[in-house]
Amino acid sequence: MNKKVILSGIIIAIIVVGSIVAFSSNNPNMEGGRTHGTVSTEMGSPILGDPEAPITIVEFGDYQCHACYNWFHTHKPAVYDNYIATGKANLVFVDLAFLGRDSPIASQASYCAEDQGMYWQYHDLLYNSQEPQIDNGWANSERLKAFAFSLDLDTEKFDSCLDSGKYSKRVQYNISEAKKHGAKATPTFIIIGPNNQQEQFQGGQPYSTFKQIMDNMI
Amino acid sequence: MFDTLKIVFSDIRYSLLAILIFTIMLVGLLLLSEFIFIEPFVAGHIPQGTELGFILIVILSSMSALVLPMNFYRIKILKNSKKKIGGSVFGSFIGAAAGACSCGPIGFAIISTFGSIGATSLGFLTSYELPIRFFAIILLAITYYTTIKSLRIECKINS
Repeated sequence: MNKKVILSGIIIAIIVVGSIVAFSSNNPNMEGGRTHGTVSTEMGSPILGDPEAPITIVEFGDYQCHACYNWFHTHKPAVYDNYIATGKANLVFVDLAFLGRDSPIASQASYCAEDQGMYWQYHDLLYNSQEPQIDNGWANSERLKAFAFSLDLDTEKFDSCLDSGKYSKRVQYNISEAKKHGAKATPTFIIIGPNNQQEQFQGGQPYSTFKQIMDNMI
Repeated sequence: MFDTLKIVFSDIRYSLLAILIFTIMLVGLLLLSEFIFIEPFVAGHIPQGTELGFILIVILSSMSALVLPMNFYRIKILKNSKKKIGGSVFGSFIGAAAGACSCGPIGFAIISTFGSIGATSLGFLTSYELPIRFFAIILLAITYYTTIKSLRIECKINS
C-alpha cells in the first residue's frame, strides 16, 4: 500500500515538474519577470545604465531601420550623456524586427553576443555597420558572424548559437510584446517614470523631446 | 514663361490651390520621412546625412504645387486634353511614395498586410528613396516644360 502511494506520488511529481518545464520552455514569459511599467522587458536587452535609475526608456527597434540608425547616431549620444550616464535613466532595447528577413537574425545575433557579455558592443556595432539597402546582405548570417569575430567573441560558441536559432523565440516574444503595446513603427519609445507614469511615442525624435518628457517625470 | 505663369496664377483660385498642394505635400512628406513630429510635442530635426532628402522634398513639393494647378487650368479653362496631368500626378505620387519610409507606420501596415511582397516593395522604396525622388522631380520638370509650351501655343491660338 505504502509503495503504491510513494510510486503514485513520484509519478504525479514527475508529471507536474515535466509540465512546468515544458510550459516554461514554450512560454518565455515564465523564464524571468522583469517588467518596466506595463512592458515585459525580460526578453529584451540587458539594461543600459543604472538598473535602479528612476526612469526607463524602452526602445522598440529594428537593426535594419534607417530611422533607428539616425536616432542612434544623432540623438542617442545626448540622451546617454545627460540621462543614462548620470544615473537619471536607463535604457532597454526590445526587438521589433519586421523590416526584412535579416532583421530577426540580427536580433538573435545580439543575444548570442550577450551570452559572452558583449550585447551592447554588438548592438552598437550593428548600428555602426548598417547599410542603406534592406536585406542587401550586410546583416546576413555570414556578416553577423564576422561582426562577432571583429569583437573578439568566441566565434565557435557564437556561430553555434546563431545557427541553432537559440534565441528565435526570444525575438518573437519581443516582437509580440512590441505589437501588444501598439508599436507600429520603429523606433517606438516608451518612457516610464518613477511613479510608473508612461509616455509612448514613435519615431527617432530629437533629444529635446526626450529631455522635455524626462524632466517632467523627475 | 513668366507670362504663362502670370496667366495661370493671376487667378486667385489657382494660387490658393498651389499653396494648398505645397503645404499638404511638404508637411505630409516631412512627417512620413520623420523630419517633423507632432506627438507628443511638435518637433523638427534634420539628422546628419539626410540633408539631401530634405532638400528634395522641398523641391518636389514646390514642383507639384507649380505643375498640378497649371494642368488643372489647362483642363478647366482651355477645355483641352487631360493627357498631361497624368505626368504631374504620377510624378507627385511616386515622389511621395518614395518618402513612405518602411520604418514608419505605413511600412509596418503594408508589411503586416502583404507579408514578404510588401516588405520587398517597401525595401525597394526605402533603399532607392533618393533616386526615386530625383526621377519624380525630373518627371515633374518635363511635365512643367511641356505644359508651359502647350499653354503658350494654345493661348496664342485661342487669343
